[in-house]
Amino acid sequence: MARKLGFLVLLLCLTSICESAAIQPISDAHRSATLELVAPVDGSFASLEEAYEALRTFEILGIGKELNVRASTCSSVVDKLGSSSSLKDLFFALRANVLFKCEINEQVFLEIALRLKASVNDANSLLDFYYAIGSLRLIKDQTSEVDVFLADADGIFRSIKALSQSDGRWRYGPNNPVSSTYAAGIALETLAGVISLATSEIDQSLIGTLSNDIVKLFDGIEKYDDGAYYFDEKLVDAREHQGPLSATSSVVRGLTAFAAATSGSLNLPGNKIFGLAKFFLGIGIPGNAKDLYNQLDALACLESNRVSIPLILSLPATVLSLTEKDQLKVRVSTVLGSTAPPLSVKLTQAFSSDSKDASIIESQELKFDPEVDAHVLDALPKIVDVGNYVFVFETVLHDQEHKKVYATGGRTKVPIYVTGVIEVDNAEIAVLDSDLGSIETRKKLDLVGNNAISLSANHLQKLRLSIRLTTPLKHSFEPHQAFLKLIHETKVEHIFVLGNSGKQFEIILDFLGLVEKFSYLSGTYDIQLTVGDAVMENSFLRELGHIELDLPEPPEKATRPPPRPVDAYLRYGPKAEITHIFRAPEKRPPQELSLAFLGLVLVPLLGFLVGFSGGLSTYTFLISLTAFASRNEPEELPYINGPCHICDLVPSWHCGSSLTLCAFLVEVGSIRNVESTRFLGNLLDVCRAQNPFSPCFNLGQVEIILRKRENAFVRTMFGTRKHINEIWWAGLLDSVL
Amino acid sequence: MARLSLIVLITIIPFISTLCSSFSPENPTDRRILVLLDDLALQSSHSLYFSSLQSRGYALDFKLADDSKIGLQRYGQYLYDGLILFCPSIDRFGGSIDSAAIVDFVDSGHDLIIAVDNSASERIREIATECGVDFDDAPVLFQGMGHSLNPANSLVLKALSASSSAYSANPKTKLSNPPSLTGSAISLVSVVQARNNARVLIAGSLSMFSNRFFRSGVQKAGSSIKHAKSGNEQFLTELSKWVFHERGHLKAVNVRHHKVGETDEPAMYRINDDLEYAVEIYEWSGKSWEPYVANDVQVQFYMMSPYVLKTLSTDQKGLYFTAFKVPDVYGVFQFKVEYQQLGYTSLSLSKQIPVRPFRHNEYERFLTAAFPYYGASFSMMAGFFIFTFAYLYNK
Repeated sequence: MARKLGFLVLLLCLTSICESAAIQPISDAHRSATLELVAPVDGSFASLEEAYEALRTFEILGIGKELNVRASTCSSVVDKLGSSSSLKDLFFALRANVLFKCEINEQVFLEIALRLKASVNDANSLLDFYYAIGSLRLIKDQTSEVDVFLADADGIFRSIKALSQSDGRWRYGPNNPVSSTYAAGIALETLAGVISLATSEIDQSLIGTLSNDIVKLFDGIEKYDDGAYYFDEKLVDAREHQGPLSATSSVVRGLTAFAAATSGSLNLPGNKIFGLAKFFLGIGIPGNAKDLYNQLDALACLESNRVSIPLILSLPATVLSLTEKDQLKVRVSTVLGSTAPPLSVKLTQAFSSDSKDASIIESQELKFDPEVDAHVLDALPKIVDVGNYVFVFETVLHDQEHKKVYATGGRTKVPIYVTGVIEVDNAEIAVLDSDLGSIETRKKLDLVGNNAISLSANHLQKLRLSIRLTTPLKHSFEPHQAFLKLIHETKVEHIFVLGNSGKQFEIILDFLGLVEKFSYLSGTYDIQLTVGDAVMENSFLRELGHIELDLPEPPEKATRPPPRPVDAYLRYGPKAEITHIFRAPEKRPPQELSLAFLGLVLVPLLGFLVGFSGGLSTYTFLISLTAFASRNEPEELPYINGPCHICDLVPSWHCGSSLTLCAFLVEVGSIRNVESTRFLGNLLDVCRAQNPFSPCFNLGQVEIILRKRENAFVRTMFGTRKHINEIWWAGLLDSVL
Repeated sequence: MARLSLIVLITIIPFISTLCSSFSPENPTDRRILVLLDDLALQSSHSLYFSSLQSRGYALDFKLADDSKIGLQRYGQYLYDGLILFCPSIDRFGGSIDSAAIVDFVDSGHDLIIAVDNSASERIREIATECGVDFDDAPVLFQGMGHSLNPANSLVLKALSASSSAYSANPKTKLSNPPSLTGSAISLVSVVQARNNARVLIAGSLSMFSNRFFRSGVQKAGSSIKHAKSGNEQFLTELSKWVFHERGHLKAVNVRHHKVGETDEPAMYRINDDLEYAVEIYEWSGKSWEPYVANDVQVQFYMMSPYVLKTLSTDQKGLYFTAFKVPDVYGVFQFKVEYQQLGYTSLSLSKQIPVRPFRHNEYERFLTAAFPYYGASFSMMAGFFIFTFAYLYNK
């Protein structure tokens, strides 16, 4: 898909070149575009001027009959003609009426004619003359009952002629100093009208000077490089500014009208008329209705004018395929595409566009084929191979009389593209030893199938790829594009151009010289071969396979491989979601356990109270019980002595309470190292000591207390405050005890 | 130059003031567009493109690029919302326009279309380079010119790139060195969306806008399918819709957040609060704001880095919402919506909101786990009291 697209661009380019090189007469493309551009809005046109121009355009192209705009236009025509509207409105209403043929009362025409005649005599600006005389002419065409002829035609002719300038251009009015080419066209048309409306013959000397003016006007014509002629309006800032298209079209309209009205011949060169036709056709399809009307109306004037009728030579196809054996066809027609008089077309010269020296063929006459309505060259000359050529054609009219009527534009140069299927063979790829040049591995390439090759090479070897391309005429062919592309796994691409070595195309890659370029990147490189040319019908892009390259380690100061391009599209699209990881809730003993130990903690108090009230027997029992529970060093208990049995009770109660608390802590996991809590058995010592840190305090106890503080410290860092409270409670209790 | 602009100021005639509704945040489509041409004939030869713009309601003001009366702004106000440069060979703009003025025009959020052909002048290249596009010197097999994109500029994207077998070289000379640009690295039409959402279209071909290219038929080499019309018209019309903000323009309104179960927006959240966040996003359709439907709008709860990044759920009617728990970290956070979707204007919303820790009285008062301690200490106190009492008054 992707590789086809490249050639699509190529094709588009080719077709566009063809279009620009040879002009085509008006064709169906114009017709379809016109229907798009000149469509009435809601069944009617905005003004009568637009309606007339649209209808005229359709009439020239022979289309638009299905558009039903007559009713709406006619009502506005009748409306305009009935009222006392301006000269311009009258003119366009009459003009539209010519095409629509609305039903107008003779009386209306009579009144208008009287009014127009009066205004012709009063008029002094060019446009007033134009509208008034144009209207009179239109009335003359529409009815024969009304007298529209001008008695003082000479006088009117002179007053219009008074506005002309020495260079053939005209002024719009006596008070307007600016001269304009567009006005010249209008003036010519008006004067042609005056001549046709004159009751008596116009003074021939007046017509003679006018003919001279026209020749002068044509002296100021502008020219494009391709031979197209046009009139340009010099004044840019004026409000009546007209583009080259409308100025040229106005002159053409005036010129043909004048030539039709007079009998004398105008001494204008045929190539200028041909150049004007070339200008109008070279525009292609204009973009708006006004331009389209100007173009087509002018072409219609040229189609049947009395000066000279241009004949257009066009080629249906300028891309010819050698493989398909396409015939060279040439069509000659008038500007609007109607058939030309009998003539023959000669191919006088042909040369390759690269070397513009000698012609490669003899002059040849093309045979007219009435079936395809074109002049056909049966087969291209044997010497014409694929490539770009310029063919020179010449049109020769059979009838001598026609040579005065028609303008053929002399020789026509047409670029021709001859394409063909290029034969690809002898494609092979080889790995060579650098020193000896001996072949290590050699593989034939199958460019039709899809079998991938796999090669391996190190930096002391070379890769050679060769391919032979031959044209249909068995000449060696040199495409514009012959690339070998090596693509590393990391998408780094290296492109090499295949060179021409006599009979074949080849490239030798010396990896030793390329290690720098390859940035010392060893690994798999995909091999891609692209061969393409504008005239090659079977251009291709083929994946050949891969080569395993073993390159040396990069030295210290080697350039880093280029960074991989970042995909700009990664910015878009959703990112991975992020959820916050909350701190785990602290581990707490189940409520039952806490309550059970609360009970247990209260048991020693109970024991104390019982002992307190019950006497020594219970006390002794408790002592032995506690001694058993503390497992270790029960022998310390007998050290308890004292005269007061109440006093003796207190430590044992206390000891019991502490042991329970300790058991609770062990149970809930707050104290892990049970060994280290053994000192609780020594609580009695602690109890006896007035000051916990007095010298009699043994080392083990200090260590444990410190350990607990440290434990608490660690928990301040990570744990919750509640835990710390507990620890402090425990530590405090211990120190108090 | 200064004198020239002075003359422009004096001679400038009042124009473009009676045009229809202009650009505004509520109505982001451009309205007034200045078209600068090399030659007024382009107006006719490219009329299909222009008329498609005009039919969509744009007021095009055609001017010759070297017209001494043109200006983009007057009294600090821009006269146009968009600019079309169809003047590839211009060396010096008329009036007060120069490349800096054009870059300023884009910097202030206005849109630009540039088309060049083989004769791209220095001036046009300069503007394109500002946008991150470099034209290759040689013409390519395309009626115009390919260009490469500056890899450091992440705002410029290829709208039309060449095929893998394409290359940029002069077709008239023989190739001896590998071409500098090949394959899909060649961009034919590029678009830029600046950070202020100003849009720029840079095309390597002026002819692709022309009536001839709009109407010419296309047939792929080696394929029998013939297209009666090239895709230019559709492609460029859609692109112009995009450039002039008829499409792909988003707005976000009604950003709100509150605790679950409440409706008022608090001034501050506490850690571990549950909150709800909602925003409404609409897309400009050229005429009205339509609900924007997507499923990849995301919100961030952000303090130096996102703590929470969540995709919003949508009701398909433009409302995007979600709920999450405030992280147990306090500080000044932001709700951030950074929405970047290819072809759409980027949305960037942020709203600051502080998060505080628990107050001292918001912790648990009595812990069951500490009951044994309470028991131990209070039992000791009780015992000591009894003992003291007994010791003093016994006997």
